[in-house]
Amino acid sequence: MKMQRTIVVFALGVAVALLAGWVAFPRALYLQKQQPLEFRHKTHAEKSGVADCNECHALRDDGTFAGLPAMEKCAGCHSERIGTSNAEATLVDTYIKPGNETPWLVYAQQPANVWFSHAIHVKRAGLTCTECHSTYGESDQVKLYEVNRISGYSRDIWGHSISRLRRAPHDGMKMSDCEECHRKHQVEVGCLGCHE
Amino acid sequence: MSGTPARYGMVIDLDRCTGCGACMVACAAENNVAPTPQATPRTGVTPMLVRKVSNGMHGATRRETFIPIMCMHCEHETPCVKVCPQQAVEVDKATGIVMQMPQRCLGCRYCMTACPYHARYFNWRDPVWPAGMEKSLNPGVATRMRGVVEKCNLCHARLHSANEKAAAAGRREIDMADYVPACGEACPTNAIHFGNLADQNDPVTREAHSANAFRMLARIGTEPKVYYKSKDPWVRALAESASGPGKFSERPAERLAASASEVHHG
Amino acid sequence: MKVTRRDLLVWGAGAAAGIAFTPVPWKILDDVSIWSQNWSWIPQPARGPVEVKQSFCTLCPNGCGLRVRTGAGWPVGIAGMSTHPITRGALCPLAFAAHQLNWHPQRLRAVRHQSSTSSWAAAQAAFSKACSEGKVVVIDGYAGRAASQIFEAFAEKRGSYRVAASPETRALAPYESWSGVPANALGYDLENAQTVVSFGAPMLDGWGAPGRFTRLWAERAAGMADPQLRLIQIDASLTRTATKAWQWISIRPGTEDALVAGAARFLLEEHLVPANGPMPPLTLVDAASQTGLTTDAIRNLARTIVAKPPVVAIAGGNNPAVAALNVALGALGQTGGIVLRSKQKKVYESADAVIPKARAVVIDSTVPWDFVPRTDAEIFRFAAWDGGSNKAEWLLPAPGFLEELTDVPTAPTSAVETYAVAPAVAKPTAEVHSAAQFLASFDAELNSTDKIIHARCEEIFRARAGSLYGRETTPVAQVASAQKLEEQLRSGAVWVGEPLKTASLKSNLLKCNLKEWPADTRPERSEDWAAEWPAPVLPPLALKLYQESSLREPPERKTV
Repeated sequence: MKMQRTIVVFALGVAVALLAGWVAFPRALYLQKQQPLEFRHKTHAEKSGVADCNECHALRDDGTFAGLPAMEKCAGCHSERIGTSNAEATLVDTYIKPGNETPWLVYAQQPANVWFSHAIHVKRAGLTCTECHSTYGESDQVKLYEVNRISGYSRDIWGHSISRLRRAPHDGMKMSDCEECHRKHQVEVGCLGCHE
Repeated sequence: MSGTPARYGMVIDLDRCTGCGACMVACAAENNVAPTPQATPRTGVTPMLVRKVSNGMHGATRRETFIPIMCMHCEHETPCVKVCPQQAVEVDKATGIVMQMPQRCLGCRYCMTACPYHARYFNWRDPVWPAGMEKSLNPGVATRMRGVVEKCNLCHARLHSANEKAAAAGRREIDMADYVPACGEACPTNAIHFGNLADQNDPVTREAHSANAFRMLARIGTEPKVYYKSKDPWVRALAESASGPGKFSERPAERLAASASEVHHG
Repeated sequence: MKVTRRDLLVWGAGAAAGIAFTPVPWKILDDVSIWSQNWSWIPQPARGPVEVKQSFCTLCPNGCGLRVRTGAGWPVGIAGMSTHPITRGALCPLAFAAHQLNWHPQRLRAVRHQSSTSSWAAAQAAFSKACSEGKVVVIDGYAGRAASQIFEAFAEKRGSYRVAASPETRALAPYESWSGVPANALGYDLENAQTVVSFGAPMLDGWGAPGRFTRLWAERAAGMADPQLRLIQIDASLTRTATKAWQWISIRPGTEDALVAGAARFLLEEHLVPANGPMPPLTLVDAASQTGLTTDAIRNLARTIVAKPPVVAIAGGNNPAVAALNVALGALGQTGGIVLRSKQKKVYESADAVIPKARAVVIDSTVPWDFVPRTDAEIFRFAAWDGGSNKAEWLLPAPGFLEELTDVPTAPTSAVETYAVAPAVAKPTAEVHSAAQFLASFDAELNSTDKIIHARCEEIFRARAGSLYGRETTPVAQVASAQKLEEQLRSGAVWVGEPLKTASLKSNLLKCNLKEWPADTRPERSEDWAAEWPAPVLPPLALKLYQESSLREPPERKTV
């Protein structure tokens, strides 16, 4: 009798812990944040004939990567409103006209001591954008940005799966993910190859 | 990196060094070392440090010279690598650079004890810059926190840029003109020659094997990749003296006893 | 069914066991480790594109060429400009951390009047009143700039203009007084000299622009037993230059003049030099006893000086005896000696002289901080950094390092005329005005710096002389238009004039009117590199040179 009760109560404890750990914890750990604008890649691809990622996310002359384009790039077309959306109105009125950079929240933001070179991975290793960034370039909505309350980095770094089991290749940008790919392709780099 | 592994090293011409200290300041600026108004020679962080040494004489026969000391990037039985409990320092196979990773360091400072050249420095405090000065930080180099050891990494941020530039231009090898460490770039007399010692055609390799070239404490067998050269025998003799380029002495140990009052205390 | 304490404990044990099979402990460990490595109070560099801009250092009159790396719009790194024909990429130790000076804790950000905060409006009102009540003297520490032209124009109408010259220019003052040729029109033809005798001048440690002599010495003398360029250093103690020189002659402190006189006497008596006089009054024996050398040593030194001509003697400051030695050596107006580099006739009044009754004195930010004018006038002191106690009534915040467009006239020691334009690379973070801007606001007839620079570029184009040194070297005669020339100059090119053939000019320099050997000269002591630095503060990282190491002695300055 007592043993049965002990087992039941113990099992209850385990169940609650598992529920808390697998369901409640991931929800509590991440805080959702809004991007300053509702940017749609698909709209830009269709309407303005910007078909190639490189048009906005380009390598500069010295080999550094422009990353998220500066406001200058957007102003190239949007110096005045050319559409009807609220997002564009915000862009033109709050950022382009006053000359402020849009404070995008960067999904792939790494700590300051990490050095990643797009030039080396794209040009030398021949990686395509989708291999690490998935098909985000074809999306018609801006991706949800979730920040880890403890570490301060985007959920995209750890990956969406909290257990990291059955993870898609482009889901996660931790050091172990970089190491995995390097091991697979047998490209050895020392610590300073990736760190500053 | 690709192709044959490089062995980046230097030849420092001591006859040209005037002890101005431009290399020290340029190194500190490049590596985002914080200004430390309270520091002393014992507590300061000077990844490049120029030491003044003398021939031990006084009066008209006295001569002094200046020896820039930084990490020697030892190739053989690298002392700091052998003692680190964290594997926070490693010899890079592709470049020969002894890579110090402050991110892994736990601050035991065993490496500082092990380094025969006293070329490692400890961050006693968190770096603090006067308000606004953080805008002047060099983007290629991450800042460190207190409690970790740092040292010369042969301006690897510049190696990164050179490598990236080469990749963008479709080349596998970097252009050595793009990779010049801050100290070499700064030296007004061009006393610091940086190059790839694995490349037989590199003029630095030839210089390193010239008659007047020598290395510090060569007898202990660390095989440093930083060479020095001087036409003066008394300067070459300093390399093997008991105290070596000791951190706080300014003369060979044999002469220390003679005039203790003139030893500068850090 | 009562819930007991035992239930709670068993439940707790179950929960603890269960947690281990959830991501919680592992994820929290990972997250906390990341958090602990990214303390928010440790600044990291800004992200963004890095650009390289060319400009020139304006912290001392040598105007060394700079390449400035900027990140997020702010300077983040300094390197030398290898294409600069005079400095050739060399810089002094201070330049590499100079981009941090603008945030020095002692940066002057507000107008101060008698140690309390004031305003630009109040300063302008006070100056306006002063102008109406009497004469205004303007003191410039860096003559020849566009700003200097504004000072001169202002002072012409309202008072007088004076120059606080650098030690290399002050050393040329004796020639100015003997021949009437302005010191600013003279230079040292070191490129062609084979023997340089320095009487206490820190040739390898702060004399002139770092690239000028140190590069020549490094290429022609360093490490050579029989160098092409012989540097003879006369110093009482073992200075950096002395230890690296080909020969170091150690004399008693302050006896340079006696040595010069002794050596000159020997050279003149033995007819080892082209000149015939004037003869120094000191005998060789007296010179020997004063300097502590033997007479033989002085004779040997004299013979060595003339052994490998051309030879030029250089002093640490205004030293008429050394100047007289150059006259005796025949170094005036000759290749390898003191040469004429420009046809400028205007002689500037030195700021060292007592200032006659003036109502106000304006001191430009280029004048060294510890320069104290001998006057009772109201002093309007422009400065970018506050050096502490200063008798100036008004402290006015001036633009700091690379914060304003300015130009770079010929460097003090150069043997040829040069010109460059230094664009601004950093933004001021407080309301700052240069002395030139301030004065121009009182007089609508005065031109702006920008317009004067434009006019100078046009002048250079019209003269069709000299070359532009940038990524390529182009003779001015081949530049298509004045606009193209100005564009090049505004993006970091350097104009270098042609050397003047002094002999064919029949200049007064050759007829230096020296009747007798200078007596009672009170020569200046040579200053080290940091002491002559106009700003009252050194870049913070420069502390590494004397506080965090025993490399250098702390600079002797009133404030640091």
